[in-house]
Amino acid sequence: MSLTFVGGSHRTVPIELRERLAFSADQAAEALARFRRQFPGSEAVLLSTCNRVELYAAAEQQQGPPPPDELALFLAECRGVDPTSAGQVLGGDQGPAAVKHLFCVAAGLDSMVLGEPQIVAQVKQAWQIAQQSGTTGPLTGELFQAALRAAKRVASETAVGRERLSIPSVAVADFASGVFERFDDKRVLLIGAGKMAAETLRYLRDAGARDVHVVNRTAGRAEQLAQRLGGTARPYKDLATELIAADLIVSTTGATEPVVTLEAFLAIEPQRQGRPLVVLDLAVPRDFDPRIGKQAGVWLYSVDDLGQACEANRQRRQREMPAALTIVDEETRRFMGDLHHRSTVPVIEQLRAGWNETGEAELDRLFRKLPDLDDAARDEIRRAFDRYAAKMLHPPMASLRSESHAGPPHGLLDALRRLFDLKE
Amino acid sequence: MADFVSRISVVCFAASYGVALAFEVTRLWFRSGVRGATMVGFVTAGLLAQTLYLVWRAATVTALPLSSAFDWYLLAAWMLAAGSLWMTLANPRTPVGLFVLPVVLGLIGAAELSSREPFPQSPATQIWGIIHGSFNLAMSVAIVLGGLAGSMWLIQAGRLARKQAPLQGFRMPSLEKLSLWSSRMAIIAAWTGGSGFLSGMVLNAVNRQRGLLETVPWNDPVVLRMGMLVVWLIAAAIISRAVVRQASGRRITAVLSLISLCLLTASILWGVFGKTRHGMPPQSSSSRLVIPARRGDA
Repeated sequence: MSLTFVGGSHRTVPIELRERLAFSADQAAEALARFRRQFPGSEAVLLSTCNRVELYAAAEQQQGPPPPDELALFLAECRGVDPTSAGQVLGGDQGPAAVKHLFCVAAGLDSMVLGEPQIVAQVKQAWQIAQQSGTTGPLTGELFQAALRAAKRVASETAVGRERLSIPSVAVADFASGVFERFDDKRVLLIGAGKMAAETLRYLRDAGARDVHVVNRTAGRAEQLAQRLGGTARPYKDLATELIAADLIVSTTGATEPVVTLEAFLAIEPQRQGRPLVVLDLAVPRDFDPRIGKQAGVWLYSVDDLGQACEANRQRRQREMPAALTIVDEETRRFMGDLHHRSTVPVIEQLRAGWNETGEAELDRLFRKLPDLDDAARDEIRRAFDRYAAKMLHPPMASLRSESHAGPPHGLLDALRRLFDLKE
Repeated sequence: MADFVSRISVVCFAASYGVALAFEVTRLWFRSGVRGATMVGFVTAGLLAQTLYLVWRAATVTALPLSSAFDWYLLAAWMLAAGSLWMTLANPRTPVGLFVLPVVLGLIGAAELSSREPFPQSPATQIWGIIHGSFNLAMSVAIVLGGLAGSMWLIQAGRLARKQAPLQGFRMPSLEKLSLWSSRMAIIAAWTGGSGFLSGMVLNAVNRQRGLLETVPWNDPVVLRMGMLVVWLIAAAIISRAVVRQASGRRITAVLSLISLCLLTASILWGVFGKTRHGMPPQSSSSRLVIPARRGDA
């Protein structure tokens, strides 16, 4: 009964090779069907995401699943990649190390963005594909359930996935939400059609923003963007009017000079009648004169400001790593203990069956000698025998469970087999 | 049951609030799943003990919640503790207790240093006494809430100006919400403070007219400090309204609310440690005086 994994991630495999080794959902199902034919008796789950390709295999038989190098060869053949180049970058592990690796992966501790939550869904999906392909079994079942449990504990007991890391999410959740309580009554102005505009707007929409206006030098692009984002396009000449009406501005133009100078802002500022203004200047070079941020009631954030906040959040996540790894270690020990205990089940079953058989024979003999016993008395005696057997079996079973935490209890199992004449 | 309630002391609920505050402070250093529930549990326990204590005093000492300085402070603390609990449940990520519980403990401390003797009353002036006490109570609670909202506004604005992400466990409400709170509380404090002062004048006039109780002179320290506080509150409310359309209006309102809280604190300290004829029994006893008797004495 053992576990193996082989694979590579953004840490070990160059992107060119990762792209070639990646499996789509259909390709993963095909590969697993091939695995079933090639390695009957082994269980397998294939996890393929943008940043990793990993194959987990397990077997209850004594010879175990295929070793990592054989699994690496299998992966390379499935994707038509040169086995030598794949073998140079793919790595693997067995037993507790393989379990710990999967738990770290599921908890996002091995992800490119530490603690990212999408990996949990990807692990679940990998498990579902394997289940549909018929390559899962009791071992991988328990392994992946334990992995999801570890991921859940890490997410709820540490802040490793709590702090936001992308500039648009930090801009909206940590800064704009610090100024405004709600966004459904706020007017949002998008200036330009930069790549971060759409993503920032997605977060704003999630926060409730509805009234969105788009201004762009090219009217056609403004129309296009407004249509795509569900806003209203405004002519560029109305920029000053829009600045007066806006509560929140997201600026992402490609202009080389500031689009809004301090003088231009001071000219329209009295007409804003003291309403607070949040400006997310996501353009490089900046669209808003930084001195505008010094004005009362204006909260101006540039890409650098938001980037620093993201970096601080990233460091906070990193500080949570020891606590997260402690949880992973605990869950790994727990899983391995349960796994080792599973190996004792056949011996316990044999032991219990032997005791029951002897007990039944003795009961038959007793009931034949005492034919006058009524059914109630027979039931009472039978229950007493059962209780006696259970109590006698309890100490060896408790010892086996206790030994299982340290590793497979081979010594105890051998002793039990020899003492009670059990078969291998 | 009565025996159990009679054994509740000020220390019981003050300790509960103190432990809740200690739990709230730890949120600055580490995350914990059970801390919030434990903190809410201690505030609830303190609130329950304080409620039973106030009910017991009203039932056995003939000391209705506003009938002595001691009971007045305790009722103010009770209202703020209840508000803190409600706000914590509504905004679990905001460290409300960190701001409100020290004030609650301060008011309990002020109660301990104040007289437990009921204010002298007569049936004719009792209703004016209750009105006067209630308005002053509402004013104090409004000033505290407005001041705390103002201080939170300044902290939040400072963070946003420094362009820092919020600290773990120290997430403030938005400026919009805090600004609304401080400006509303400024207006409520001005109205209730003015009404409390006017009702106090009526109470004094009734006493003087009917010769029921000794009147409080105009130059009494309590009258002077309350008068100054009310004038300040009205001025603060007017200024807050006037600057509402200015870019720096919200900051001005927050600062004014904080100043009001400081003035109230100074006023309470003056009341606790200063000398006054306000709420005192007359120096020369009169046969017409009606000093509330303990129930057991009847």
